[in-house]
Amino acid sequence: MRERIFGVLQRVGRAFMLPIAILPVAGLLLGIGSSFTNETWLQTNNLLSAMGPGTLLYTILSVMAACGDIVFTNLSIIFAVGVAIGMAKKEKEVAALSGAIAFFVMHSAIGAMLKITGAAANMLPGAVAAVVGIESLQMGVFGGIIVGLGVAALHNRFYKIELPQVLAFFGGTRFVPIISAAVYAVVGVLMFILWPPVQNAMYSVGDAVRASGYGGTLLYGIMERALIPFGLHHVFYMPFWQTAVGGSMTIDGVLVEGAQNIFFAQLASESTVQFSVEATRFMSGKFPFMIFGLPLAAYAMYRCAFAEHKKIAGGLLFSAALTSILTGITEPLEFTFLFVSPLLYAVHCVLAGASYMLMHIFGVGVGMTFSGGFIDLLLFGILEGNDKTHWVNIVWVGLAYAAVYYFLFLGAIKKFKLKTPGREDSGEETKLYRRADVEAAKGKAASAAESASGGSTSVSALILQGLGGKANVSDVDSCATRLRVTVFDANKVDEAKLKQSGAAGIIKKGTGVQVIYGPRVSVIKSELVDYISTPEADIEPEEAHAAAAPEETPAAAAPAEPQKSDEAMAKQGESYTLYAPLNGKILPLSEVPDEMFSNEILGKGIAILPDTGAVYAPADGVIEQVADTCHAIGITTDDGIEILIHVGIDTVKLNGQCFDVRVKDGAKIKKGELLLEFDISDIIEAGYPVVTPIIVTNSDDYAGVLPLTAGAVKEGGELLRLVRN
Amino acid sequence: MQTFTYEIKDEIGIHARPAGLLVKAAKGLSSKASMEFGGKSADMTKLFAIMGLGVKQGDTITVNVEGPGEEADAATLERLLSENL
Repeated sequence: MRERIFGVLQRVGRAFMLPIAILPVAGLLLGIGSSFTNETWLQTNNLLSAMGPGTLLYTILSVMAACGDIVFTNLSIIFAVGVAIGMAKKEKEVAALSGAIAFFVMHSAIGAMLKITGAAANMLPGAVAAVVGIESLQMGVFGGIIVGLGVAALHNRFYKIELPQVLAFFGGTRFVPIISAAVYAVVGVLMFILWPPVQNAMYSVGDAVRASGYGGTLLYGIMERALIPFGLHHVFYMPFWQTAVGGSMTIDGVLVEGAQNIFFAQLASESTVQFSVEATRFMSGKFPFMIFGLPLAAYAMYRCAFAEHKKIAGGLLFSAALTSILTGITEPLEFTFLFVSPLLYAVHCVLAGASYMLMHIFGVGVGMTFSGGFIDLLLFGILEGNDKTHWVNIVWVGLAYAAVYYFLFLGAIKKFKLKTPGREDSGEETKLYRRADVEAAKGKAASAAESASGGSTSVSALILQGLGGKANVSDVDSCATRLRVTVFDANKVDEAKLKQSGAAGIIKKGTGVQVIYGPRVSVIKSELVDYISTPEADIEPEEAHAAAAPEETPAAAAPAEPQKSDEAMAKQGESYTLYAPLNGKILPLSEVPDEMFSNEILGKGIAILPDTGAVYAPADGVIEQVADTCHAIGITTDDGIEILIHVGIDTVKLNGQCFDVRVKDGAKIKKGELLLEFDISDIIEAGYPVVTPIIVTNSDDYAGVLPLTAGAVKEGGELLRLVRN
Repeated sequence: MQTFTYEIKDEIGIHARPAGLLVKAAKGLSSKASMEFGGKSADMTKLFAIMGLGVKQGDTITVNVEGPGEEADAATLERLLSENL
């Protein structure tokens, strides 16, 4: 259960990354544009004549500011569409359109209700606002997120719906915008009733957080850092940054909700004398430990590295520190010590919380677009001037933090002999990929192809091995700093190999694996995905050894030992051929993660890891039985071979969901006939392996059950040869 | 001949996995075992025959065991059923 929740939250967090990715850019435009067009700032710097109103520079900067600002004003619909895209499993463009439609419909429904009832008169000031031009309830980014999540759920449920013949045109993906509009018309009316109390409650939660003063800020800061390892921090801080939980404020007559929104509204407003610390206390605390503290921790780790590893460790730590200083992306650095010393990370969380609190106490009013790096400090602190932001206090506190982090890490590493980068025992390698490791790790067969194709391929090869091979990888994605992978068998993940590939850390939850590489992860992901589609990726470690012995035929190389002993008898008796019922990759039964199959309790056979969700008849015969739960089909062929095709492992628990059976018990079938369709991604999503064993349940009647193919197979290709006793 | 009845408690009924266990056990017995449900009888060494009975949660099956050592074999099967279904 916990793993399921983690899986869902991880997907929500991932879905947020797309709309969040625009924020640094929009923030840069707004930051630069509005900083240099703020008349108070121009006046104080005597720049009115050079770049004041009327000058070309002023016009350009104003356009930049307007272009950045529009993103922040319409963040709710951006989230509605962005989250719908992120959470939709397939046909994402339909989810995007539906998200936009549902967003308009919901707010129009609210607007109509407001008009009819005249309820707006009794509401809190600012509870009603213009949302994308519709007079509606101010729901902030929450409004967008509930649309995005709800539409994605409707989409995933209905995008393949079949309607009666007359209405068939409206079936499938076309049904999704329709149902979304209908549902969100109702949601809109419900929101009209439910949202005002929520609004009131949110104002009071915000009040409580604000009323708890410095203590509240401390707690906020500790929580925010502590959630980083789980990748859930976006979910936590977003309400504070984007909704009334983080406070609300009237700026130039407009009510603005959320800490970050308040900051940017103040930034755009010419009447701002000083930034609201009540808002920036949820942001400014990042600067001291991101620009000063953590980089010095990195330096302490470098100092403690053993001489022979210093060069390599230095490269890793220096780039991680620079990333933290400039952009405020800290994960590459944090994950170098989180795993070697969780206690040190806990101390880091408390220090980070204290940093938020100190910024609050010292009245620092510096906001940020994304995180607390130097770029944000320059734009939103230094350029805004010390009078408005008190940014200088960041430097004082930052210098103190630098000292604290340096000595804390130096002391802790030496006292507890922590194995931070560059301090591994001589047997282990520094957590960096070295070419020699890859050469050694890969089989002889693979190395020829590898040396031709260059370094990035070998990193991909190493990562793939670390993930348990191509067959073990179900799904690859990435966020800002992590490679997010779903595997079939978490036990096959080799953390040592992943670390050799340059990973700062690895988090495993159920079948979800997160490998932290830092900002370069998007390149690593693309290369890995490219690599997976190349033939080299099919060479698994064991197979590589087998392939090194040239006298073995491909058919004999892949399968497990037991089948080989049958080979001698292959020439006796009558033989029959079964054809592949699925497209995919062939695996020996011994690799199926279920003893019932891997120990051949149900019979001998083979497994296919399908890459398309369709099962075809492996031979002419009769459907003996289709399981009520549709996940398994029993067939007796005209030659008397009894075959069980069992789609996925433990999929009986799906109770028929994800499966679409095309045949009935007793039906006569021809080889190649479509028997069953299933949704690979739904099954994986539900947490079950999709590897499909194909079992000859009366294999006692046969002297041999021999695989005819290794590697990839197409539906209808030769699969097994059976020899009668 | 030994006969006993058993009510299925597993919420999914007799599907591939427990059926496989029963078949494996039945093959190892010295007696011949069959299972009756809904007017049909299935040789317990035949996986498809057992699954074809379509036994669900709450259904009561009748197991017949005949041959040398039928008493011990019936007890083996009964224990297996109660442990897995």
